[in-house]
Amino acid sequence: MVTFTIMQIPKDAIELRGYFTWMGKDGIARTSVKPGIDITLEFAMENTKVVTSFFSDKKFPILINSRGIKSMSYEARRHFSAQDRDTKTNAFAIVIGSTISRVLGNFYLGINKPAVPTKLFDNEEEATKWLQQFLN
Amino acid sequence: MASTVFELMAPNNKIPLSDNARANEVLEVIMAFARQDFGKKVSLKNDDSVLDGIGAGVNMLGEELQHSTISLREKEQLLKEIHHRVKNNMQIISSLLSLQSESTEDQKFIGLIRESRNRINSMALVHEMLYQSDDLSKIELKEYIETLSSSVHRSYALPNSDLEFVYDIEAKVHFNIDKMIPIGLILNEAISNSLKHAFPKGKGKLRVSLKRQKEKYQLLISDDGIGFKKDFDPEKDSHLGIQLIYMLTEQLGGKLVVKSEGGVSYSILF
Repeated sequence: MVTFTIMQIPKDAIELRGYFTWMGKDGIARTSVKPGIDITLEFAMENTKVVTSFFSDKKFPILINSRGIKSMSYEARRHFSAQDRDTKTNAFAIVIGSTISRVLGNFYLGINKPAVPTKLFDNEEEATKWLQQFLN
Repeated sequence: MASTVFELMAPNNKIPLSDNARANEVLEVIMAFARQDFGKKVSLKNDDSVLDGIGAGVNMLGEELQHSTISLREKEQLLKEIHHRVKNNMQIISSLLSLQSESTEDQKFIGLIRESRNRINSMALVHEMLYQSDDLSKIELKEYIETLSSSVHRSYALPNSDLEFVYDIEAKVHFNIDKMIPIGLILNEAISNSLKHAFPKGKGKLRVSLKRQKEKYQLLISDDGIGFKKDFDPEKDSHLGIQLIYMLTEQLGGKLVVKSEGGVSYSILF
């Protein structure tokens, strides 16, 4: 088993079955996948529900820490591509690290083609910097 | 003897045995996908290895392929359904026309209705054969011509007639719907004309041939009947059937030659 450094998870983060999710003070939403988890559509929708609840009047960017993910189902990938739904987010920055998260991230970008600007990053700092341009 | 593809690829066998087994598992799953068996998956160890990454990628690829295959099959089914419905609707129109003609004894009107029904049926047959074929985009011309000819023949049902249809059609010639509809209508008009006018004694031969001519095809429809009247000029004649043949030949981007020598012949190079 490989361990991964995960983001600093604040105390007020919402713990879901597959993720920790919260809204950052900088206006960027954050979600961190639990290490070794298989993300199903159910987990994905649970996360989306929480992310959507952060919406007040403006769309916001989201930083996704996918390091440590074990797998993500076809249905979950489709859901996260946000092709057929009104997402309250305006950009995805995906932080990758493990081999699987790297493959998954690239697969997601190349095959599932997310509906909003999406980029893969090796670290959280660069991801945050890129997302700042999407803050209203 | 090397026992696996991966051993052959790495003859020095520097791959650890467990990795070799995992690589073989990946290969087996890929081969299953090639057989359209998408139920297999590469087992992942969650050890952050390259093979785990490849396995995860292969698994996701299988899921995408499975859904694309299902989607393609659904679309094929839908297309079949559409052709089926178009054919049924055309048959309904044809039946309505038939009912209409039953209310009159005007032979000219009955004849016009029959001509219209045959034109509709020639198009309906294209749709019927399309949804019955394995390849939903093309149908084989030989089967179509023979089926259509006998259908037109039946519709005229000449009593005590002794008419023979002779076919010389190249096998395995397939056309798509854009070509088949005009070809069908041309055949319908030419055969109908022969059946109506060429054989006053009810005896004769009708020939239909289709030959490949380098990059093109030559469709020849002929009869050994009495031919056109001496003063008849097919290019200037306003008869709808002949005019249709000219128009449809143009639609095929072809060239039509009509002759009246020992019967009538229509030669279309397209």
